[in-house]
Amino acid sequence: MIEAIFNQPNYLAAKKTLDAVALRQEAIGANLANLETPGYKRVDLAPAFQRELERACASREPGQFASLKPTLAVDPTAMPHGLDGNTVSLEQEMMQLNQNMITHTLETQLVTGTLQKLRMAITGKS
Amino acid sequence: MIQILSGIQNTTAALDAERTRLDVISENIANAQTTRGPDGKPYQRRIVAFETALQQALGSHQGAQTTGPQVARISKDTRAPIQVYEPEHQDADARGMVAMPNINIHEEMADMIAASRAFEANLAVVKNSRAMAMQTLAIGKR
Repeated sequence: MIEAIFNQPNYLAAKKTLDAVALRQEAIGANLANLETPGYKRVDLAPAFQRELERACASREPGQFASLKPTLAVDPTAMPHGLDGNTVSLEQEMMQLNQNMITHTLETQLVTGTLQKLRMAITGKS
Repeated sequence: MIQILSGIQNTTAALDAERTRLDVISENIANAQTTRGPDGKPYQRRIVAFETALQQALGSHQGAQTTGPQVARISKDTRAPIQVYEPEHQDADARGMVAMPNINIHEEMADMIAASRAFEANLAVVKNSRAMAMQTLAIGKR
């Protein structure tokens, strides 16, 4: 019975998204760290992860989520802003940093909500 | 070792590198009027260059790796010194010209602003990572 609660697609998706958010934070941190490094190419989550997560959510099968693993990749769409070939934009990275933070808040609250529902079911108290 | 603040070592490396850059800029500004250094010549502007370890190639099992920057070298700006007519100056040549350091104070100020903004951006990452770690630790609490 408890497995059924922890195997809900929403709960599993929230867990995987939290993994992705932590990795993304590392990528944004590295991009901002290399703001002034000549020739640095910005990294971000590999776009394949988003697609696979959507597919796993659509299939609603817990097994589909287990194989999901977010990875980082060099962003091929980012263009260099100056002559030094660096593709990091300070403003864009700050936006992504804040967006990532909000996604993290959302996902932690979702997981907390699920756990609290379970606790309520056990104890009868909210 | 577990990583509570993911990727924080890159940010630390960047804070170190930006601090070095700010130190060099302040050295340049401080020596903007130094006409005679230890070698008897006017002070030459210093330039900081950053480098990062080679980014790992795409398509590998782990994907791209993140790397932090480091100071590659502090080189001298080879632009010629600025000649100023000041016959009464101790270091003036026979024509009354003094070789002043090749420092443009506006250029240094612009560099300083860029360096401190980059420093602030990295501090924002630290703050943000910390807030995220606190949220993660609060999972399951009311």
